[in-house]
Amino acid sequence: MSDDSLSEAKTPILHARHVSQRVRSGERVLTILDDLALDVHGGESVAILGSSGSGKSTLLGLLAGLDTPSEGDIRLFGESLTALDEDGRARLRAGRVGFVFQNFQLLPTLTALENVLLPQELSPGPDDEQRARTWLSRVGLGERLSHLPKQLSGGEQQRVAVARAFVSHPELVFADEPTGNLDRETGAHIIELLFELNREMGTTLVLVTHDHALARRCRHCLRLVEGRLHAMHPDEVAS
Amino acid sequence: MKAVSLSLKGLRRDLRAADVRALFVALALAVAASTMIGFFLDRLDRGLTRQAGQLMGGDLVLEQDEPFSTALRESLREAGLTLSQQVDLVSMVSHAEAFQLASLKVVDDAYPLYGQVRVDRGEGIEALAHGPAPGGVWVAPRLARLLDIGIGDTVRIGQATLAVSGLIDREPDQSAGFSAFSPRVMMHRDDLAGTDLVQPGSRLEYELLARGAPSAVASVQERLDTLRDNGVEVRDVREDRPRLGGALDRAQRYLSLAGLAAVLLAGVAVAMATRRYVDRHLDTAALLRCFGASQRQLSTLFALQLMWLAVAASAVGALLGLGGQAGLLAILTRFLPLELPPPGPLPLLMGVFTALAILVGFAGPMLLRLKRVSALKVLRRELDPVPASGWVVIGVASLVFGGLLWLYSGDFMLSLGLLVGGELALALLWGLGHALLSALLWLVGGATGGGRHGVRHAWRLGARQLARRRHASLGQLLAFSVTFAAMAIIALVRGDLLTAWEAQLPEDTPNYFAINIQPGERDGFRAIVDEASDTRSDLYPIVHGRLVAIDGESADAAVPVDEQGANVLSRELNLTWRETLPEGNRLVAGEWLDPASAASDAGPVPISMEEGLAERLGVSLGTVLSFDIGGERIEGRVTSLRALDWESFRPNFFVIFPPGRLETFSHSFITAFHLPDDRQATVGELVSRFPGVSLLNVEAILEQVRELLGQVTQAVELVLVFVLLAGISVLYAALTASRPMRAHESALLRVFGAGDRLISRIQGAEFALLGIASGVLGALLAEAAALGVYLLWFDLPPRLHWPLWVVLPVGGGVSIGVIGHLLTRRVRRQAPMESLRLLGET
Repeated sequence: MSDDSLSEAKTPILHARHVSQRVRSGERVLTILDDLALDVHGGESVAILGSSGSGKSTLLGLLAGLDTPSEGDIRLFGESLTALDEDGRARLRAGRVGFVFQNFQLLPTLTALENVLLPQELSPGPDDEQRARTWLSRVGLGERLSHLPKQLSGGEQQRVAVARAFVSHPELVFADEPTGNLDRETGAHIIELLFELNREMGTTLVLVTHDHALARRCRHCLRLVEGRLHAMHPDEVAS
Repeated sequence: MKAVSLSLKGLRRDLRAADVRALFVALALAVAASTMIGFFLDRLDRGLTRQAGQLMGGDLVLEQDEPFSTALRESLREAGLTLSQQVDLVSMVSHAEAFQLASLKVVDDAYPLYGQVRVDRGEGIEALAHGPAPGGVWVAPRLARLLDIGIGDTVRIGQATLAVSGLIDREPDQSAGFSAFSPRVMMHRDDLAGTDLVQPGSRLEYELLARGAPSAVASVQERLDTLRDNGVEVRDVREDRPRLGGALDRAQRYLSLAGLAAVLLAGVAVAMATRRYVDRHLDTAALLRCFGASQRQLSTLFALQLMWLAVAASAVGALLGLGGQAGLLAILTRFLPLELPPPGPLPLLMGVFTALAILVGFAGPMLLRLKRVSALKVLRRELDPVPASGWVVIGVASLVFGGLLWLYSGDFMLSLGLLVGGELALALLWGLGHALLSALLWLVGGATGGGRHGVRHAWRLGARQLARRRHASLGQLLAFSVTFAAMAIIALVRGDLLTAWEAQLPEDTPNYFAINIQPGERDGFRAIVDEASDTRSDLYPIVHGRLVAIDGESADAAVPVDEQGANVLSRELNLTWRETLPEGNRLVAGEWLDPASAASDAGPVPISMEEGLAERLGVSLGTVLSFDIGGERIEGRVTSLRALDWESFRPNFFVIFPPGRLETFSHSFITAFHLPDDRQATVGELVSRFPGVSLLNVEAILEQVRELLGQVTQAVELVLVFVLLAGISVLYAALTASRPMRAHESALLRVFGAGDRLISRIQGAEFALLGIASGVLGALLAEAAALGVYLLWFDLPPRLHWPLWVVLPVGGGVSIGVIGHLLTRRVRRQAPMESLRLLGET
């Protein structure tokens, strides 16, 4: 199963066809992704499930234009990523794509507020700081603006990361195991937050996870097995 | 604009990071050292030029035996020069029945162009900015004594009778030469005609002195060249700066060398700190790529950040440098002329340029890594861009440092030589470092015993960590070796310079010269001096002769073009004869004079020449020189060349004949001796018993030189402090850079059950071993570099410095051990979880 179940009449904002990714390991060539296809439309939420080492993160990297596939074509916002160079892909992401990472990826020398401001600083606007403050309040950290990451708990750090992902009102947010480093309860809070924002802002959400609770909240679930995506009904996702 | 504000924001946040602080300190120190030394040397140079101008009487002195034309004077004035005219002649001066030959100096109202005349007009010594008024003369106290006259008495000079209106204590333009053997009389130009001394055939020297900016002097250069061609003697302060002594010259070289050492050390510190800076910013760069930043934006961002840092460090460094040079000047203030020109802008620009050059050279290749970072690193941490090759980093840094060397020394070949030598030394050090680490690993691999928790156990583990982390350890080993070597060289050269200076002027250095001792007075004079003095040079006979031909060709035509018209050809030389090589002279070529060959009448006699003059005149062994002595022509063949110390305060001679050839010519004797303070009364006895003998007291000059050496010594020590600080900044930067790695290691050890004490010992042992190994390699490098520097730059005899081989390893072990231990203390106190997590995030 793949694209067909997700396709609708309008143009998908993320569109992948015949995507393969191979890496050479000594004499052998490992196929991580094999002739894969995917379409994601605006406002959808898509979970990609898979066992450890199945290539989930590799796929996320390709979809976000952080890397290029060995074969195939990926279109983001209608533009072919493979036709763009590294800088072109970066430009395409700027202000339109948000990220939430498993290991939070907060810069240790920056305060919570500064971390949220970081993506905006690439194209600064007049009320950036106010917006960042609002977003941090929104994720419940209004009182922790000047705290450094090491002064925050894992859940708090991930909330900063979520605020950073949404602060520029992106059209698409990629999340890589957003609850992977958190305990169940904290993870649940983060999931709640992500989907609340997804609904509220109409942001498209593509997340890679092995957390079934998280996957079940998505409108579409796909499982990555042997380099290919298979569609699942959210109810099929075992608890 | 966006990039500017973003970079400033980033830098502000980054100021919390230790590596950025290390970068700042290193750059500020480099700028401080180079601007301090630059400012100081610049001002010293300009100050010395001004002082030289004062000694010469002007920035430009023209001399000929007839008055200077009005047209020439006008053209010089138009160029912006202030002029003074002077006439020098020797004439008899009388009072009552007493006569004395005196050296007359006829001055105008503009005299003196520089400085002041110290004169006693009856009310104690005053400093005056003018010469005597018409109708009066100022005379040297010696003349007053010889003629038995005082202020208010009259003297007769030629046809004129003039009143003595002052006793000269010191003329501003009096040099320590022997030109004025006869006592001085200074009179006004208006009185010259009345003396009737200006007659056809009289020996008068007309001098035109000019004062003005170097640009004004340079603007009349063409005119000066024409004048030179027409036989006018032209002395230009820019070319004829007096030799204030090899001491100052060496001190200047030392300061330059120390400045470069500080710059090199700062460069190493910058390289160390940059490595950590880049490692720390890889995640930032990857995140920014993720958020849509282009490679160009990233490069601009980081380049701008570091440029702001360099600019801020330059400002702080320049302020420190200004303060430092003020300190250096304060130390040298008694020696230097009072009105020193203010600091010029050039050293400041050089300082800022140096900081930027260091940044580009020592940090540039490593920074490129940030640009190459992949956005995918946010998902796959291991995706770090390949670090720049160590050899590329060292190569670029060497090129930039070589460029700075060239810029500062102005000597391309020397810079190239030092650079190539430096690279070879580095390659050798790298190999030795490798071998040392292998030997260490082998050594501790085989060591057993000492228990699991003993000190030996800790040393073994420390050594193993050091040896296994080969790449990082080698980098630190090289950096510390270079640092120790640079610090050692500066300290070594300082010590050897001071020893050389102390040896140069011992306590009993002659403080009097006696000239014009007649053959009949020789024994009597010698007897009195021997009685009173504690050292005396031999009494050397002097015969005046002019060098007229070289290998049969007219001397003026035979010498190299730039020596044509030189003083040494136009005036009479002091020639002497002697059986043995004079004290303090060293034979550098040929054989010492064979008296037997002088006795035979066949052909030219063997003579010995000073090597510097021989080189200037293009004379070599075998050249035949012809001298005109009292109208007779004497030929000598150069059979030996001598090196001698012109600053020895002893009689020195350009040309020495063997005994048996010059005795028949009219001659007098010269000697130098030292009179202790309590025997100064002997001077009076000598003056009254030998009135014809000129006694020259050089105590004041001697004191000045001694004082200068003392002050230069202090300046040298101040600079050494800067080099030491720069060295410490390297240690700080390098140890800061390796902190996260050590934090990780100690966290892991802690996880595996090691206690605080063991970890502390292991790290201490590792630092100490690193320090000891760096000390050994540093000593090797320092010896090799000292050999080159001594031979090429300081003209000091090379020697081995044994203490270095103990001080550097021990000092290295202790300093790196202590600094490293202190810097990693916080890391050891951190909970292992925190260390491991922090490492994961950097």
